[in-house]
Amino acid sequence: MSESRRVQDFNRHVASGGKVEATDWMPEEYRRAVGRFVEMHANSELMGVLPEREWILRAPTLKRKLALSAKVQDEVGHAQLLYRVAEDLGKPREAMLADLLAGKTKFHNVFHYPTHSWADVGIIAWLVDAAAIVAQQALRESSYAPYGRTMKKICWEESVHILHGRDVVLTMMNGTARQRALVQDALERWWGPLMQMHGPRTDPAKDRDLAWRIKNKDNETLRQEFLTVYVPRLREIGLQPPDPELRQDPDSGTWRYTEPDWKELYAVVTGHGPRSAERLEFRRLNYAETQWVRDTVLAAPLAA
Amino acid sequence: MPGQPMQVYEVFRREREGGPMQHAGNLLAPDPELASHYAREFYGRRQESVRLWIVPRAAIVDLDDPDLLQPPFDRSFKKPVGYSTEIKAKLAQARSRAGTGKAGEIQ
Amino acid sequence: MTTGGPGTTGEPAASANRFDPETKQALANLLLATADDEFVIGFWDSEWTGIAPLLEEDVAFASLAQDEIGHAQALYQLLADLEGGDPDELAFGRRPEEYRHARLLDHPRTDWAFSVARRFLYDTADAARLDALVASAHAPLAGVVAKMRREETYHLLHMHAWLERLATGGPEPRSRLVAAMERLWPDALCVLAGVEGDALLVEAGVLAEPLAAVRRRWLAGLAPELERLGLPAPPADPPAGCRGPDRSDDFRWLWEQFTMVRRSDPEAVW
Repeated sequence: MSESRRVQDFNRHVASGGKVEATDWMPEEYRRAVGRFVEMHANSELMGVLPEREWILRAPTLKRKLALSAKVQDEVGHAQLLYRVAEDLGKPREAMLADLLAGKTKFHNVFHYPTHSWADVGIIAWLVDAAAIVAQQALRESSYAPYGRTMKKICWEESVHILHGRDVVLTMMNGTARQRALVQDALERWWGPLMQMHGPRTDPAKDRDLAWRIKNKDNETLRQEFLTVYVPRLREIGLQPPDPELRQDPDSGTWRYTEPDWKELYAVVTGHGPRSAERLEFRRLNYAETQWVRDTVLAAPLAA
Repeated sequence: MPGQPMQVYEVFRREREGGPMQHAGNLLAPDPELASHYAREFYGRRQESVRLWIVPRAAIVDLDDPDLLQPPFDRSFKKPVGYSTEIKAKLAQARSRAGTGKAGEIQ
Repeated sequence: MTTGGPGTTGEPAASANRFDPETKQALANLLLATADDEFVIGFWDSEWTGIAPLLEEDVAFASLAQDEIGHAQALYQLLADLEGGDPDELAFGRRPEEYRHARLLDHPRTDWAFSVARRFLYDTADAARLDALVASAHAPLAGVVAKMRREETYHLLHMHAWLERLATGGPEPRSRLVAAMERLWPDALCVLAGVEGDALLVEAGVLAEPLAAVRRRWLAGLAPELERLGLPAPPADPPAGCRGPDRSDDFRWLWEQFTMVRRSDPEAVW
């Protein structure tokens, strides 16, 4: 069978919902595309830890400390699961971490921004995780089966995070005037990055990840799903998304909004966000500081 | 001593008493002891499992040859579906001959 | 006005009401010391979240830290049942000099060898303490201790595994571990010291033996492993000021962090 015939059969297989396992034959292009997609996802989970990490120390009650600690622990666990999936496609974890720290690979925009208060913790856990889960639920049906299975586990674990986030926000909205003001302020700062999170509208006909069903929904669909569920939930508790153009078309149900700043998104994901450099540097330092531990466990086979 | 790379360990879990061991995922570990601790973390820290098996991927014997697992010739003589239609027709015939009534139900 | 904390039935207070006031105070001292130990180590170890040497280890270490916070919560609840208030108020509502954790926990997380050494010393000392409380005449405490011991099984397994790997892993990990233990040993003795009135608790059957005896038993239990691995031995006696009121600058920094949000709006519910 010729290579191109094999590729055609493969394309038909995935286009009609067929699955691919790590040990199956796959076109090099597909292998690279899945690898890149999963690697960026893994990087995002790992970098996503940093904005929230400092608040573990500052959580104001025992229950919140446990919840936030468990949430961040889950994100690290998700990074591990996703790096494992990417690694089984051929790129060693050490190489992926090296590329991330060298600024060669990307991670999602939201993790390049600073946190200012406990209200940010609630908004991130509720809305950022909600926007992420809209995408992640669609990924459960990925053509690349190891990724799809991992996404099922991740979605199950993320559902708790959103509940925790919503609980934090509701508690503050039912609290003091100061607390409410903090939440509204956090929402205003995070709204831009949230709207940019799913990415610009792409032409589905030109999107290879869609054609191969690595992902199954395009960016705009995901953003619309997020707005449909979460704008009403924000407004019903007295929070105002800071976009005067934000409205839902009564006939089509489509949300209209001020066009997000795509230049900002591009600058941020290429490492020029407000906290990009600082967070990568923090990771680099910690990674270097703990290199001796990795060298130790990898060098010494124990006496049985 | 030469360095040893971390190994992949596959993890199987039992969700509740009496259930089967099911594949749950995999992880990297430097040795079996830490692998079992990490398996507990990834597949047990939320009290979601009653038992775990942690197996080096290298120890697994893998079979995926379709010639062995999906051989092409008819095998309906090994499966219920191979008998149900035949029996239904013959039962109807036998009941009708014996004058016992109910049409094609198999009891 | 004293009220039981959330979820109390009045029974725990009744159990302690048969103690005379001095014994009750000694019990409160023990509960506060133990709760503060768990609370503070839970905080230091949670700093490794996201930056541990291995991703898998990151998740494991985070579980250990969370367990300690959970144990602290249960112990503060017992204290609230005894004296009133609620766990969050007890955990977050004091000045730094009012915390009663052992000096072992005044040190910051430092490097991996230091954190492993400190956890190892803490978990093994805590295990000895729990052994002396498991048959406590104060039933609510015995109940909490039984649960804690089960969770500590994992802590001990995991920390023995790391102690072994660092001690035998070559010159670099070994030298870091040895240096850490030499720095930590004197303060480690404080985990099983510094609780006023422990003799009264022994009389009342709350504690099986005086803390000094628990400490000897702990050290005797560790000796073979330390010898086998060629690790430093402890000094004879604990230092002065085992449980405050002098606290390190590092702990004061930690206190600033963990009380920051509450202090920003003292009337607020979070």
